[in-house]
Amino acid sequence: MAVAFVAHCLLNQNSKVGDGAHCSGVYSPIVDVLRRKGWRIEQMPCPELGFTGLNRFWAVREQLDTAGYRRHCQRLAATVADVIGLRAGQGEDIVLIGVEGSPSMGVRITSSDPSRGGRPEWPEGVGEHTAGEGVFVEELRLELERRGLAYPRVAGETHALAGHDEETQREQLEAVLDNSP
Amino acid sequence: MKPDERSFRIALVADRYLNPPAGGLDGLAVLAEAGWGVLQLPTGDYPAELAARILAEVAEQLEEFSRHGYDFVVVGECDGLPGALAAVGLAVPDQITPSSTADLLDFLTARPAPPASSWSWLPADDPAEDATAGRE
Repeated sequence: MAVAFVAHCLLNQNSKVGDGAHCSGVYSPIVDVLRRKGWRIEQMPCPELGFTGLNRFWAVREQLDTAGYRRHCQRLAATVADVIGLRAGQGEDIVLIGVEGSPSMGVRITSSDPSRGGRPEWPEGVGEHTAGEGVFVEELRLELERRGLAYPRVAGETHALAGHDEETQREQLEAVLDNSP
Repeated sequence: MKPDERSFRIALVADRYLNPPAGGLDGLAVLAEAGWGVLQLPTGDYPAELAARILAEVAEQLEEFSRHGYDFVVVGECDGLPGALAAVGLAVPDQITPSSTADLLDFLTARPAPPASSWSWLPADDPAEDATAGRE
């Protein structure tokens, strides 16, 4: 058995920050690949939804990197780590699928702008995407390390990135899924 | 930039309809086709304490959607769900244990438009122009 732990919004675009829902509900370009390849799906919670709510502004990592938000993410990550531990203990192959560019769920690319804050206006065209993890993904990785569990292979939904290409996204996802140890 | 395409409709889905066994009803495919978002309910294989924690987190997230007028349904059954929802002041939404794809699709399409679908922080004719900030 193989299990993909997916970012909440890949099954529920209703959780997205305003103007961020790419489709009505299930983001099929990722889900269809997982189903076709026979991967079990485990939905992770949306850390931003429960902390900053549906009316949250778009944010960069620095705005969410607070002690309170980290504690919130640690609580959620502990539950996800419990499930990963359970699955890993059964010898199941595991991948983590995040959302590239997200301040919380990015697995390789997050959003960063140390100067952003205050009145929510900023110059158009400011490029905030940068290499790194979102806050929740970082806390999940740390929690797995504390438990001595291997960090899964990762893939990301890339819709928010400049130059997003669905075919490239699919190929990258398939490469991660097929690269079992 | 495309407008926000959310449906304001969310189904709490028992694991057997999201990860169906061979020959089982693929609820996720039906929900995707009908445009519903999904909140996954824990599989019955998990230890009770872990399942209860997952359900508490599901209820916490549903509470936020509820405050904004989204529509909910439950697809399938899940021990502990009524208690988890009650803990955040929510009743169990309309529920179906579908016998077929058509059964589920009929149930979903018969729902009235949710209150939230006529409300948005996004003006329909004035999409946000500064499309650069990080988004989950």
